[in-house]
Amino acid sequence: MITVRNLHKTFKVADKTVTAVDDVSFVAPSSAITGLLGPNGAGKTTSIRMIGSLVEIGGGSVTVDGIDVKQNPDGAREKCGILTDARGLYTRLTARENIRYYAELRGIETAKSEATIARFVDWLDMSDIMDRRTEGFSQGERMKVAIVRSLVHEPSTVILDEPTNGLDVMTTRALRGLIQRLKAEGRTVMFSSHIMQEVAALCDTIIIIAKGRITAEGTTDALLEMSGKDNLEDAFVKLAGIEDEQHTLKAA
Amino acid sequence: MAISKSKTIITVAKKELTDHMRDKRTTLLVLLLSVAMGPLVLMGIGYFISSIEQKFEKKEVFVQGEANSPELLNFMQRQDMTIKTPKPEFRALIKEGKHDPVLVIPENFSQKLVEGDAKVELVYDDTRQDAGNAAISVLRGVMRGFNQEVASQRLTARGVSTAILRPVEVENTNLGTAAQRAAALLFIIPWITLIGCVTGCTSMAVDLGAGERERGSLEPLLMTPIAREALVLGKALAVSLYAFGIAILTMIGFALTLKFGNVPGIGGVISLSFQQYVVFFAMLATFAPAMALLQILLSTYGRTFKEGQTYAAYAIQVIALLPAVAMLGQFKDAAWQLFVPVLAQLMVITRILRGETVEVMHYLIPAAINITIFVACVVLIGRLLKQEKIIFGRA
Repeated sequence: MITVRNLHKTFKVADKTVTAVDDVSFVAPSSAITGLLGPNGAGKTTSIRMIGSLVEIGGGSVTVDGIDVKQNPDGAREKCGILTDARGLYTRLTARENIRYYAELRGIETAKSEATIARFVDWLDMSDIMDRRTEGFSQGERMKVAIVRSLVHEPSTVILDEPTNGLDVMTTRALRGLIQRLKAEGRTVMFSSHIMQEVAALCDTIIIIAKGRITAEGTTDALLEMSGKDNLEDAFVKLAGIEDEQHTLKAA
Repeated sequence: MAISKSKTIITVAKKELTDHMRDKRTTLLVLLLSVAMGPLVLMGIGYFISSIEQKFEKKEVFVQGEANSPELLNFMQRQDMTIKTPKPEFRALIKEGKHDPVLVIPENFSQKLVEGDAKVELVYDDTRQDAGNAAISVLRGVMRGFNQEVASQRLTARGVSTAILRPVEVENTNLGTAAQRAAALLFIIPWITLIGCVTGCTSMAVDLGAGERERGSLEPLLMTPIAREALVLGKALAVSLYAFGIAILTMIGFALTLKFGNVPGIGGVISLSFQQYVVFFAMLATFAPAMALLQILLSTYGRTFKEGQTYAAYAIQVIALLPAVAMLGQFKDAAWQLFVPVLAQLMVITRILRGETVEVMHYLIPAAINITIFVACVVLIGRLLKQEKIIFGRA
């Protein structure tokens, strides 16, 4: 379970202080999929990076399965499997070697990591690429390797930042299947996306974040009701405050 | 499950070495060049030295207008000299470094000699540091000898002792050994070895710094619960082992060439004992890793491999140019050089090659400086890997 309380982060850009995350609080429970929805620059990735203790927490607190990220970042890192937009692989190593490297770095015994790898390889239908060097892999193939790499330590909390970006239909389907299986195994799953149908189909709870603040939170039905719209895209545009901006722009 | 720092270091080093060795083209090129460096450099120097020696031994001189002075010609022949006629365009060729110096004897030389107004012209280009310098010395020696002979004859004819020409008798005692004379050129060996050690591991060092950033593998790596210092030390271990490998191969190349190469001009003059090789290697053993780490540090500032390579290139430039500065500055064996990487290695290795003693401090001071650079780089890279602009700043 992820518990975020009054999370805050500012960055210095030139001489200006930009607030990236402003008083964000939410809970992402276990055995559930929590969606993080927001326009570009809303603060989703910064929030994810703070949960993964890659970015220093500016204010507030984050706990992962009760472990305070600020006080025990390594402990939190052991609990989390995070996939951000940095999905670089070592192209001279095979897919298996790329994943094994992470298993070794996390101190997992070979027999155990091999069993884990075999399970995820089966779920993502990627056995044919496992012993090939990753040079020349398609985006989908790279994504699959990066995901298994982030899950090789069997984390209780899985955070995926726009995992289906740029993927073909089959890879996207495989990924959705994986996300549902991770939830069924009792893990905390949180992911961000721009694809409304995907979020609507997968998420138990959706958190809409805009300009660093949470503007709405609830199930798909609750968000539709809150916005008075009949589809999630319109509901998102309204609840994220983008609609007001568009009106202002049109008026101008 | 926490992983120990030592296990992290070994895991990272193993992965980095496997990864880099699979870049077969680069690895093969670097390793082959390392082995070939010794034979190539020694052959080049050997050829240069032997060409100078041959010029001295053969006593070949180019003379324009030899028919103008039977006296001078006779003198040269008595000195067992071979007189050669220069090419007509010799002045231009000398300027281009394609012709040896020429002694020009003008018309009426014999008559002018009797009148006491004889002149010859020595045509050479002193901006060229090549084997032509030997020929100038030979020609100057010839003219000195001829002058002395003519003057002696004239004084004797007047009943004056020839001793008047030599108020001070100069006895030549050359303290330089054969090894030292050859070592005057052999400074190129440490120079090339040092540059080889640094440039050989550049591709690996840059890949470990800027490469990780460019391919987007740094961020996921830092999301694992491994200690940053252990990660850096693992990379340092990998690149150091690679740099050691290059240093050892370069030395093997030199050793085999010196032992079995029978290089003209050097054969028998320079021979290193096992202990000297150990000191030679000891000088490189701390230098190579320190320079490799310095390159990782500089390249980490680069968002792309290319950018990282550019930063590393500046360090290589300084390393390559320092010996030239030392040469021009005529620092000889000034003790302060022991505190400057590159100059220290250059000085100590050259001393070894000259067959001079190397004191413990000659090794310890540069080693301490290199270890300090190494540790400082590890700490600084570790700090960089905590900076958000480094972790997330990608091209």
